[in-house]
Amino acid sequence: MATPALKMKMKTAGCAQSIVCDGNEAAAWAVALARPDLVAVYPITPQSSLVEYVSQFIADGKIEAELMNVEGEHSVLSALHGAALAGGRTYTATCGPGLAFMFEPYWRTPGMRLPIVASLVTRDGITPQCVWGGQQDAMTMKETGWIQIYCETVQEVLDTTIMAYRIAEHHDVMLPVNICHDGNYLSYGVTQVEVPEQSAVDDYLGEKNINWHVALDPLRPMAVDPLTGGAGGPGPGKFVAYRQGLCEGMQNALGVIEQAHSDWADIFGRDYAPLVEEYRLDDADYALVTIGSMTGAAKDAVDSARERGERVGIIKIKTFRPFPVEAMARALKKVHAVGVVDRSVHYGWNCGPLFQEVLSCVYRTGKPIATGSFIGGLAGADLTETHFTRAIDRTAQLLAGTEFDGPVWLNEND
Amino acid sequence: MNTTHYLIAGASHAGLEAAHRIRLVDETSPITMVTRDAHPPYSPTILPYVVSGQSEPGRVVLRKPDWFEQHNINLVSDDELVAIDEAQRQVTLKSGQQWQYEKLLLATGADPIIPPIPGLEKTPFHVLRTMQHAVALRDHAGKAKRAVVLGAGLIGMHGAENLRHAGLEVTIVEMCDQVLPGYFDSRAASVIEEAFNDNGIRMLMGSRVVEVEPEGEGCRIQLENGDSLETELLLVATGVRPQLDFLAGTSVANDQGILVDDRMRTSADNIWAAGDVTQATDFYGDKPVMMGILPDAVTQGAVAAMDMSEDHALKPYAGGVPINTYTFFGQQAISVGQSMAEDGIEELTRLDDDNRGYLKILLRDNQLHGISSINQEMDAGIMWQLILRRVDLTPVRDAFIERPLETGRALMSSTWR
Amino acid sequence: MTAYNTIAFDPSRCELCNDCDACITACAQVKSGTDNPLHSRIKIVAGFNGNDPELALCRQCGDPECVKSCPSTALTKNPETGMIDWEKSLCVDCLLCTVGCTYGGITYNATLKHVAKCDLCDGDPACVKACPSGALTYVTSASIFNEQHEREDLFVPGLSACQGCNSEMIMRHSLRKVGPDTVLATPPGCIPGMGSVGFNGTTGTKVPVFHPLLTNTASMLAGLKKQYNRMGRNVTAMALAGDGGAGDVGFQSLSGAAERNDQVLFICVDNEGYMNTGMQASGSTSYGSWTTTTPVGSQMKGKRTGQKNLAMIMMNHNCEYVATASTAFVEDYYEKLDKALEASERGFAYLHIYSPCPTGWRFPSSQTIEVCRKGVETNFAPLWEYERGGELRFTHSIDNPLPVEAYLNLSGKYRHVSEEQLAHIQEQVNERVKTLKRFAGMN
Repeated sequence: MATPALKMKMKTAGCAQSIVCDGNEAAAWAVALARPDLVAVYPITPQSSLVEYVSQFIADGKIEAELMNVEGEHSVLSALHGAALAGGRTYTATCGPGLAFMFEPYWRTPGMRLPIVASLVTRDGITPQCVWGGQQDAMTMKETGWIQIYCETVQEVLDTTIMAYRIAEHHDVMLPVNICHDGNYLSYGVTQVEVPEQSAVDDYLGEKNINWHVALDPLRPMAVDPLTGGAGGPGPGKFVAYRQGLCEGMQNALGVIEQAHSDWADIFGRDYAPLVEEYRLDDADYALVTIGSMTGAAKDAVDSARERGERVGIIKIKTFRPFPVEAMARALKKVHAVGVVDRSVHYGWNCGPLFQEVLSCVYRTGKPIATGSFIGGLAGADLTETHFTRAIDRTAQLLAGTEFDGPVWLNEND
Repeated sequence: MNTTHYLIAGASHAGLEAAHRIRLVDETSPITMVTRDAHPPYSPTILPYVVSGQSEPGRVVLRKPDWFEQHNINLVSDDELVAIDEAQRQVTLKSGQQWQYEKLLLATGADPIIPPIPGLEKTPFHVLRTMQHAVALRDHAGKAKRAVVLGAGLIGMHGAENLRHAGLEVTIVEMCDQVLPGYFDSRAASVIEEAFNDNGIRMLMGSRVVEVEPEGEGCRIQLENGDSLETELLLVATGVRPQLDFLAGTSVANDQGILVDDRMRTSADNIWAAGDVTQATDFYGDKPVMMGILPDAVTQGAVAAMDMSEDHALKPYAGGVPINTYTFFGQQAISVGQSMAEDGIEELTRLDDDNRGYLKILLRDNQLHGISSINQEMDAGIMWQLILRRVDLTPVRDAFIERPLETGRALMSSTWR
Repeated sequence: MTAYNTIAFDPSRCELCNDCDACITACAQVKSGTDNPLHSRIKIVAGFNGNDPELALCRQCGDPECVKSCPSTALTKNPETGMIDWEKSLCVDCLLCTVGCTYGGITYNATLKHVAKCDLCDGDPACVKACPSGALTYVTSASIFNEQHEREDLFVPGLSACQGCNSEMIMRHSLRKVGPDTVLATPPGCIPGMGSVGFNGTTGTKVPVFHPLLTNTASMLAGLKKQYNRMGRNVTAMALAGDGGAGDVGFQSLSGAAERNDQVLFICVDNEGYMNTGMQASGSTSYGSWTTTTPVGSQMKGKRTGQKNLAMIMMNHNCEYVATASTAFVEDYYEKLDKALEASERGFAYLHIYSPCPTGWRFPSSQTIEVCRKGVETNFAPLWEYERGGELRFTHSIDNPLPVEAYLNLSGKYRHVSEEQLAHIQEQVNERVKTLKRFAGMN
């Protein structure tokens, strides 16, 4: 596995300890450091060990939070709604069918502008029945108004989960955040992780102010989410204003995410590309576009290809919602062809969802960039250097003018 | 300049009910009541009993001072309304006080009519409309042996009976040939007259006074038929009418009384009227009528106040229905609604064996038009409601005619739950 | 204005037709030492055209017209007892009081030669004690009014409930009692539909109010309450939900919160269906009921299955407190609300209130309370309570119930019910009472 693209900055805060853990435990450590008021849990593969860790941390006093063992994901998020409206910082984690069951309150959370943070330990969709990793669950939710940030490494899971509170609770944002880490690969992948100091995290997150804008509090009574005018009565003005506000919050989030990352780097010395990471791109003729933990193997494949003389790079997306249109277009402009590797399917366009978004950005570049869609890693399948080497070869052919219809299914013969 | 939100002129039944009703929906706006009496509020109806000594002035106070305090009502006593400037929404009182109001209720009641009898102006006589009058009459009665009462209306009859109870020889002089005209038919009137005769009161019906003159401690009364009466005490009870001088220069329309609509609004903005001062809608006809009945004054006060305070529960005034519950020498005469049959009215009459009890039911299209009785158990309030609500008696007609009391009770009780 | 205790009369129980005059004789005895009915201040009169008997008796009105019509101050409304007192020494026998009274409550007694009226026998009325059929009861429900009317109504005026709906009454009474330190959640249904959560940026409630999902009221409130506990603030988390939001699609959330014994006061206002969206059937809709999704036609005669008994299911969660209530028995409801509120400090409290719907059940809007009453008196909707660790306790006798027709006949939604269906409903009612009795340790 290639070294994560970390530009180490001068640290001003030390790490409390260095541990060896998987991504689920790393997320639990992040939750502990973020000091939530209420955590509601319901287990589901491959998230289960995450809520086990959080529960154990609470049992051990490592997290001083209310723990609600709720009867299902629908109520998990509902309980978080209540706590957030009362001013509490909240956390949960879910994925796959659990996320689907949570959909009703999930769908509503951004509209109420509740800064809830939830990990999605991404899992492929059913049917066929499948308990393995994949990003179909998260990608299905991309138009609900949640911020979605995808992690590449276990350390990044820990760091970004803490950053998520800073982003969600920023007064220009006030939106829920999903930190997505790949089921199987990040949930169970074990590495050495640095755990930041509590005091430094406290300083980084600052005072919480969750319900300054909307509250269920007898000290300042209000009706939360009354009916709006719409087709009848006073007209849809208020409704439209809510929608516009949500879109503005999403756009504001781009800058806030960048700031959260750069502040993090200043304090903790780990500097991640907040929106789009460019890897060996500056002199590239073409590139792969990746998302999440697959990027490590992709980077190994690119390194190997470079040794063969291929002028290939990587554009990795970290923030998928809001989509960093400008950053993506800037990266795309540097190449003439891209192969986009998705870990999920966009049924409507017969491609991957990320591919479809990239395609829109190509138009923004004003350049006739050749594009191809690769779908791999479904149902927890491994995406290895071999798979990426195939993708690189195929993308190189695009550059030469050999286009192809439909996606390339990287695992179909595995 | 004093200011108030509600100004209520008059503090008897209509005015007091109005103040009460306003406070049910408006706890804060200032209310000021003005009464010409120095005495705390009382009912004019009680005055004959003060004369006889049965009621003591200090025990018939309708609202004690703490009631006004509790309800945050400013009571101005011993003063009265003399002028209204409706454009400026100001009134002037007899004392010279001026008040600025938002809403004005005129509930000033009525005053005795003094008939144009030659010699009356130089003769000492009594009227009975205020506590002051009653106390003066009571004190005089204690010293007098004989009394003459001019008029056999309600005040005259009550006054005469109570003077009799006080031990005087009493004579009633009435121009009409029956007592209580307009309230009871001649048959009922004759029962009443008989009771008065039986109790030693001389009843000079169909008699007209042509002159009075002072004589000794009292006076001498010359009748049209040539007879004359001597008496120490003369009570003039020939009716009442509102005193309306304070309306001069205003646009408040009036006839015998102040004309009001079914919300007790006068023709002038921000001015309402209720009680004996009004000439309000007649339940039975188009012409406005003077009513002068206590429960009706309460109703009018309530309607006026609910309109003034914009109480949405307001039900418009249904119109005046004559009602009289008259007790005399231990007997009762009760009349609700019309007492005389006219075209289109069905009259059903029943006499007791001894001719002392009597019941008459008037129906129009199987709705109760009026009911009157002598010495019969009768729920006047139920009958009033049957008339006001125009209850269709068709399904219970026979039962009602047979047993009006029970049937009326069953009808009203069925509306309760 | 104040109202107080009074004697209530249930004509359907009165035995006047069987020549019973126990109340009249008892009153005459107490007031005169004789059996002469003329001395009775309570009069029972035959109903017209074969209807139930009716009553002439002083209602001890709150704003009495007899008192207003009294010129002598002989009649006064006693602010302490609420009784209309009559003082003989002040009375001048003018009978104007009888003009004020619409119910024959004060009448002239020719023997005594003055008016007479009921004085409630100092709070222990002889007529009520004498009544063999339970038609007369001494009710103190007005004392609730006296206790509550000083408390602030925490809903705005002018909620747009259908005419005759008792939900608004339930809402106003309940929140008045629970008080301002409350967060109220009203999931989709009639209660928010009538404007309690406001509209387009306004509010209909003076406490914080939330329009949660139909599905998540209990868990949302549970999370909220946990946060307030954490902050050291005593805030009541209260739900006013319909039967759908409680027992159908909202049931998982409700059950979970009850299982966890979360500190929530959950009030289910059960109108047996989705009335706000046009009277569709819910799990709580009773067997045989017409609704727009259990219609009456040649192949179907209303709902084909029985109702889910949510209150019993909630009792089996063994949470802090579970009770049923009816707005025909408001005192009973108030006692249960007190207990539920107190229980919600410790854990989950669930109240199930029957809320007959004049619009959807098709009965006149004036009959709501009567339908409530008959529901209880037929054992269709028995009143009981359960406290954690204890036994179920009936709070209204289940003995000698009226036949279930007495309840069904009031509502148009049962109009089509056949003899067989009726027998089935009666059997269901009997079975349910039997089950409840087992929980009450009765057999």
